Amino acid sequence: MSSAVIFPAQPEQILKGLGKLWTTLGQEEKQQGKPTVLRACAMTLIVATDESDGGYAASQTIAELMREHPSRGIVLAVSDTAEHDLEARVLAQCWKPFGKAQQICCEQIEITARPESWPNVGPTLIGLTAADLPVIFWCRHKAALDPAASADQKAGLQAIINLAHKVVIDTKGLAAKDAMQVIAGLRTQGRTVADLEWTRLTRWRQPIAQIFDNPSRETQFSQFTNIEIAHTGDQLPTIALYAGAWLSAPYKANVSFVKENGFGAGLQRITLHSEGEEIVFERTGPDCMLLHSTNGRKRSYSYEEPTDERLMTEELAILGSDHGFDTAFVRAKDLLR
Amino acid sequence: MSVLVQAPPEVNPLQDALRFERRVPPCAVVIFGASGDLSKRKLLPSLYRLFYERRISPDFAVIGSSRTPMSDDQFRERMKESVSKFLEDAPFDEDVWKSFAQSLFYVAGDLSKPNSYDDIRDKLDEVEQSHRTAGNVLFYLSTQPSYYAEAILELGAHDLFKGNGWRRVIIEKPFGHDLASARKLNEEIHKVLDESAVYRIDHYLGKETVQNILAFRFGNGIFEPLWNRRYVDHIQITAAESIGVEGRGGYYQEAGALRDMIQNHLSQVMATVMMEPPTVFDATNVRDERAKLLRAVRVMKHEDVPRYAVAGQYGPALVGGQQVPGFRQEPSVDPEAQTDTYAAVTFFIDNWRWAGTPVYIRTGKRMPKRVTDIAIQFKAPPLGLFQQETKTGLREVRPNLLVLRIQPEEGISLRFLSKSPGSGMRVRPVSMDFNYGSSFGERSPTAYETLLLDAMMGDPTLYTRQDMVEASWQIVQPILEVWGNSKFYFPNYPAGSWGPKASDEMLGQQGHVWRIP
Repeated sequence: MSSAVIFPAQPEQILKGLGKLWTTLGQEEKQQGKPTVLRACAMTLIVATDESDGGYAASQTIAELMREHPSRGIVLAVSDTAEHDLEARVLAQCWKPFGKAQQICCEQIEITARPESWPNVGPTLIGLTAADLPVIFWCRHKAALDPAASADQKAGLQAIINLAHKVVIDTKGLAAKDAMQVIAGLRTQGRTVADLEWTRLTRWRQPIAQIFDNPSRETQFSQFTNIEIAHTGDQLPTIALYAGAWLSAPYKANVSFVKENGFGAGLQRITLHSEGEEIVFERTGPDCMLLHSTNGRKRSYSYEEPTDERLMTEELAILGSDHGFDTAFVRAKDLLR
Repeated sequence: MSVLVQAPPEVNPLQDALRFERRVPPCAVVIFGASGDLSKRKLLPSLYRLFYERRISPDFAVIGSSRTPMSDDQFRERMKESVSKFLEDAPFDEDVWKSFAQSLFYVAGDLSKPNSYDDIRDKLDEVEQSHRTAGNVLFYLSTQPSYYAEAILELGAHDLFKGNGWRRVIIEKPFGHDLASARKLNEEIHKVLDESAVYRIDHYLGKETVQNILAFRFGNGIFEPLWNRRYVDHIQITAAESIGVEGRGGYYQEAGALRDMIQNHLSQVMATVMMEPPTVFDATNVRDERAKLLRAVRVMKHEDVPRYAVAGQYGPALVGGQQVPGFRQEPSVDPEAQTDTYAAVTFFIDNWRWAGTPVYIRTGKRMPKRVTDIAIQFKAPPLGLFQQETKTGLREVRPNLLVLRIQPEEGISLRFLSKSPGSGMRVRPVSMDFNYGSSFGERSPTAYETLLLDAMMGDPTLYTRQDMVEASWQIVQPILEVWGNSKFYFPNYPAGSWGPKASDEMLGQQGHVWRIP
């Protein structure tokens, strides 16, 4: 269920639109004589995008995310085909849990800005965040994140960053060096920053970490002094850099990166070398990973390319600082030097 | 003289508590009764699921044992069939199964024959090397309860509670069939095993929503001040099942509803809802408080039993257009059975917080629907300014009801009065609702997944301790004794109803009525 276009996109008008929306949903409830709709909100999630779909993919992802992280979602799309400078639409994203009569609904606000209005979105957004709840900013606006962005693009980005407790970006596709620069820039502003390339690494990190939980294992982690990271593509992907940084941070092991063909883009294999043992965790097929060691142990894992929704679900569960990422980030910068 | 000092194992610097699942140490799990129903339906599917989700250590092994002769491969094949059939809300992955199956072993044996334990020890030694289980062993007794004492004594006699790592034993319910047998069993176990290594499982406590009671009570500041005799009028705990005995007539005939549900699951739920806040959230403190609450439950005198406890048994009825048999018509049930398929009890907690506040617990089979919930009925405001609209007119009410729903619609709802729209000050109850499943879209672990992981990690918070078990037997013991010597005129409620009339009368004498959940 969605409203007509709201123009001008003033916070008061938009909130009025949301109010009407709930009244309409409530009428349906009254007709049926039982609770049919439950409103849920645990945060404000702002997604800014310059993708050509006008924010469609971002909206879809928010709709998926609301099952685990219900939010007031604000999708801010920049489009030069927008009719007005800044216009809005409000809607309810609802889903009905299997076998239940009641729908769970989250409010969503879609704001479309012409590129020249992008620097002015701040005053609109500031009135739209849900009271007393954290504000998360997921930046899919690639141009504004680019170190070479224009002053206007940076101003628009800054206005949103100022509202946010946490900023989530995705450096996939960026050269690792540029990625480090972007993140360093955001971190200097005192924001909690997350990179979805780091989030993608969780499914690699956890099985490796588990190996060293066993106190009786002969070769301890500190004895693995050489780490080899294999990746596809000509430029070093950030996920590969993070993998090397994470594994080498505790004892400053040597890290080498190698290019090779593999299954899909990005990280393909992690090898830990010690004098007595070699541990390899690698993709062995489009949907399979294998962890094996020269001591004869093997274990298969299923592999599924994580969707934006899965990655964001993990990130939205961490609202404070992330020591693991912070440490890896510092080490990653060292490795690039 | 030279002294060799072994360096302590290093702390794992790769762990990430924010993003990774809880760390579980390497271990071997030995399941006695591995070809039984519980193993097939719950234990193996739970272990596979934990493996699939990467939640158990890569260094683990499962050794199944039962009388049926089988090879490792045959056991793996059987378990594969069960896991793929009984896996709840989760995919079955062939590759992951192959990896998991490498850690499955089988030892055929009879618990009453000493050489079976030698075979288990040999296999444990083998997997300690091949699967690096670090000498940690979790024994799971999923056998006939009559074997518990014997099996534990034999495990002790064969030195299976000694080794390089920790040794723990999970014991399924029923833990004894009355107070005396529970005490005897505890005595036997403690001859060879310290209480800290005994994990008495009560799968109700592993349910997410039961754990959520603790989070709700002690994570929020607004309810606890009201959580006492000054504001709470009474508490109702309901655990209703719509099904009958489903082929378990033989077992159920001996157990009955009071033993099967109230002595264990529901008394633990009552303790969770009513205990004092622990000073620290750890196993010792939480269990101390649960035990304290159970010890504070007033033990009935025999002459009070008819007033405060009601037994029932369902009779045949037409439910949903279908003829449903009565309990006495169920297969393998004595046609004259005196078994309680329904039990309702009024408990009083003799402590400062709850003195005088009745707690009503009821459980039964063949009730109108499957539901487990806890309803906390708050007292009416001191002055009744408003009257509530009802279908039959206007009346004063106790409007505030907090319901903690355990299953199936897991959640919490709070009822309060609100003004009806329009002129005049007419009020009606409305409900503020939190739905557990829909607020957290992710799959909740099953109770067995939670409890198995906890035992591997040495966290007994959700397991029952000796004193808790004995205290819960103590409170039902007089009822068991009186009912054991009574002749009931069963059946006294038709299948598909909310129980016998006497149960309504039991509440009526305190001026209360059962809710319709």
